[in-house]
Amino acid sequence: MIIGTAKESYRADEALLTTQPQRVWMAIFLAALVALPFALNDYWLYLACLVAINVTAATGLNILTGFTGLVSLGHAAFMAVGAYTVAWAETRLGTPFFINLIAGGLVAAAFGILVGLPSLRVKGLYLAIATIAASFILHFCFIHFDGITGGATGINVPPLSIFGIELATYFRLYWVIMPITAVMVLGAANLFRTRIGRAFIAIRDRDISAEVLGIPLLRYKLMSFSIASFYAGMAGGLWAYFFRVVTPESFPLLTSIFLLAAIIVGGMGAIIGGIAGAIFMTLAPELLRFGMEWISPLVPNAGALLSPVRTVVFGALIVGFLIFEPQGLAEIIQRIRRYFRLWPFRT
Amino acid sequence: MKTTRRMAMGLLAGAASLGLSMGAAQAQEDIVIGGSLPMTGVFAFAGISIEAGMSDYIKLVNDAGGIDGKMVRLAYEDTGYKVDQSVAVFNKLTSQEEIHLYYGDSTGFAKTIAPELVRKGSMIMGGASFASELNNPEAYPYAFIPGPDYTEMVNILLEYIAKEKPGASIALINSDTEFGRDPIAAAKARAAELGLDVVLEIITPPGSVDVSTEVLKLRRARPDYAISHGYILAPQPEFMSQAKALGLETKFMGTFWSMDSSLWKTVGETADGYMGVMPYRYYYDDADNAPMLDKIREMRPEYQSTGYMQGFLSAMLMVESAKRVLAEGKEMNGANLKAAMNTIKDFDTGGIMGLPISMPGNSIPVGRVYQFSAAEGKMLPVSDWINVE
Repeated sequence: MIIGTAKESYRADEALLTTQPQRVWMAIFLAALVALPFALNDYWLYLACLVAINVTAATGLNILTGFTGLVSLGHAAFMAVGAYTVAWAETRLGTPFFINLIAGGLVAAAFGILVGLPSLRVKGLYLAIATIAASFILHFCFIHFDGITGGATGINVPPLSIFGIELATYFRLYWVIMPITAVMVLGAANLFRTRIGRAFIAIRDRDISAEVLGIPLLRYKLMSFSIASFYAGMAGGLWAYFFRVVTPESFPLLTSIFLLAAIIVGGMGAIIGGIAGAIFMTLAPELLRFGMEWISPLVPNAGALLSPVRTVVFGALIVGFLIFEPQGLAEIIQRIRRYFRLWPFRT
Repeated sequence: MKTTRRMAMGLLAGAASLGLSMGAAQAQEDIVIGGSLPMTGVFAFAGISIEAGMSDYIKLVNDAGGIDGKMVRLAYEDTGYKVDQSVAVFNKLTSQEEIHLYYGDSTGFAKTIAPELVRKGSMIMGGASFASELNNPEAYPYAFIPGPDYTEMVNILLEYIAKEKPGASIALINSDTEFGRDPIAAAKARAAELGLDVVLEIITPPGSVDVSTEVLKLRRARPDYAISHGYILAPQPEFMSQAKALGLETKFMGTFWSMDSSLWKTVGETADGYMGVMPYRYYYDDADNAPMLDKIREMRPEYQSTGYMQGFLSAMLMVESAKRVLAEGKEMNGANLKAAMNTIKDFDTGGIMGLPISMPGNSIPVGRVYQFSAAEGKMLPVSDWINVE
C-alpha cells in the first residue's frame, strides 16, 4: 500500500514514473519485452510486431485527436505516405534502413502539415471530412504516379537489412520494431511534459481560450498534425518492412477508422490509452479465434458458422466499452491501479 | 501506468502459452492443407463456397483411402478478406501444424507472403487470386493459379471475339483497383495482335454504382464488345440495362469472379446475353465424361457456385502434387511439390475442366466462354474450350 508520494522538486513532480513500484513494474515490463521473442512462436511474434506498429500509429493519432482535439480520418493515408517513401527509398536509392524510416516519417509529416492547413478554419466532423478528402487525393496519387509508386501493383520491398544482416524473420524484425515503438511512445509521453504538449491540451479544451493565453493556433495545430503524421509515417515505414509489399490498397480508409476506434476504446488523451487500444483492437479478434476454436467441436460446420460470430462479438465488445466505459481502457486501468494502491485495505 | 503494462503483458504471455500448448496438441500424421479463407467480409460468398469445394474433394480423397494411407485435412480460419489477418492466420496455422499446401485468399496476401514462402521453402500456395503478377515462376516459385490468370482470361475472350467477329471494336471496363487494372496493358497488346480495335477504356471507382456518364461514352464509341474486369457483379448490370435502354448492341463480357450464375439470376432479364470466361464447368453442365461433376451433384443436390469449383480443383491440384511427391519417396517441400505440380500433364480432372490440363508454369491457361440465359437461369457454353498457352 502506498500512502503518499513525497515530491521535493518540480523535476520529481514532472517525472514519468513517480513511485518506486512504478519503476519496478516498468523494469519488469521492459525485461519482459526483451524476453518475449524467446518465448513466443511465429504467430504470436507476428502479432507482437503488428501490435507494436499499430501502437506507434495509434499513439500518433492520439496526439492529434486525443490531445489536440483535431479529428482525423486520414491517418492511414499518412501511414501510406511513410510506407511508400520507405519502399521507394529502399528500392531506388538503397539507402540504409534507419534513414529510410526517418525519411518516411518526415515526408509524412510534410503531408500532414499540408492536410492540416484547413484545421484552422474547420473543426470536428468538418475536419474529419477534410482529412478523408485528403486521403482520397493521396490514394489517387498512389495509383496514378506510376513512376514513383508502381501504380496499382505497388512496390515489393526487399527484406530489411542492417549491417548486412538480413532481418526477414519475425524474431529478428521484433528487435527493430519493438525498440522503435518504445522510443516513439516514450517520445509521446515526454511531449506532454513540455510547453508544446500542454499547448496541445489547451487547444483541445478550448481553442479560443488557448489563443488568448498566447498560443499561436496555426503553428500548434500544424505542429500537432506534423507530429501525428510523423508517427504515422514511421509506423507505415515499419509496416512496409514488415509486410514487404506496399500497394494503394494496403492502407484503406478502414485502417483510419481502426486507429480511431483504437484510441476511443483505449482512451483518448492518455498515452496508455493509445497503447491499450491498439493492443485490444489487434489482439481481440485473434483471441476470439481461440474462443471459437473451443466451441467449434460442439457446432457442425463450425468454420462457416462461427466466423461471422467472431466479427459480431468483436463489434459487441467495442460497443460494450463505449457504453460501460466511455473513458476507455485507460480508465479501467486507472481504476485497477487505485484498487491496488489501497490493497489489501479496500475502501 | 504500471498496471496496464502488467495487464498487457499478462495478456500476451497468456496468449503465448495458449498458442504453444495448442500447437503441440495437434496430430502430425495427416497431410494438412492450410487456408486463409474469407468466411466474412466482402468476399465471404466466395470463401464459403471455396471451403465447401475443398472439403468435398478432401472427403472424396479420404473416403478412397487418403494419400498413401495418410488422411488429408483442411485447417483454415477466417480472414475477413484483410491482408493482416490472412498473414496472422498463416502464421497461426503454420505454427500449429506441419503444412506443405496452402490456400490464400487475395492477391495482396499472396504478394505479402511470397517472400516468406521462399524463405520457408516448405510449401506451395494456390488461392483465390488469379493475378497475372503471380504467374511468374521466377518471382513466385511456390505459387500456383488453379486456372488461367486474369490476362489469360481476357486473352481467351479476345480469341473468341477475333474468331466470332474479326476486327471487332472493344471497350475495356475496369475497376480502379489492383484487381481491376491487372489485365489492361496486356489486353490492349493482345487485341492489337489479333487485329481487334480497343476503342474505349473506362475505369470506374471502386464501389461505384452510377455509371451513366460512362454509358454515354459507350454510346459514342459503340463498341461491339465490352470486356469488364475487376467486379463481382455491380456495376455490370447497370451498364447493361442502360446500354440496352440506349439501343446499344454491345455484348458485355466478364471474367471468372463475375461468372457465377446464381448472382446473375438475381439480376433477371437484364442479365440475358452476358458472356464471360469460365475455367471450370458449371454445376449443372451436361458432359459425357465428367464423373467428378456427378459426384459433386450426388454430395450436394443443390447448385454450387463457381467458387466451389475453384476450391474443388485447387484441392485436387494440391492433392495430386502431394501424391506425386510421396510416390517418388521425396520430401514434402516447396520445391518438390512445385516440381511435381509442373509434371501434371494432360491430367484428367474428372470433368471439372473440359480439357486434360497441364501446368508447365504457374497457371492453367484454359477456359471456355459461357453466356447467361435469363430464361433458363443458367450459363450456357458458346465456345469450345480455348487454350491460350
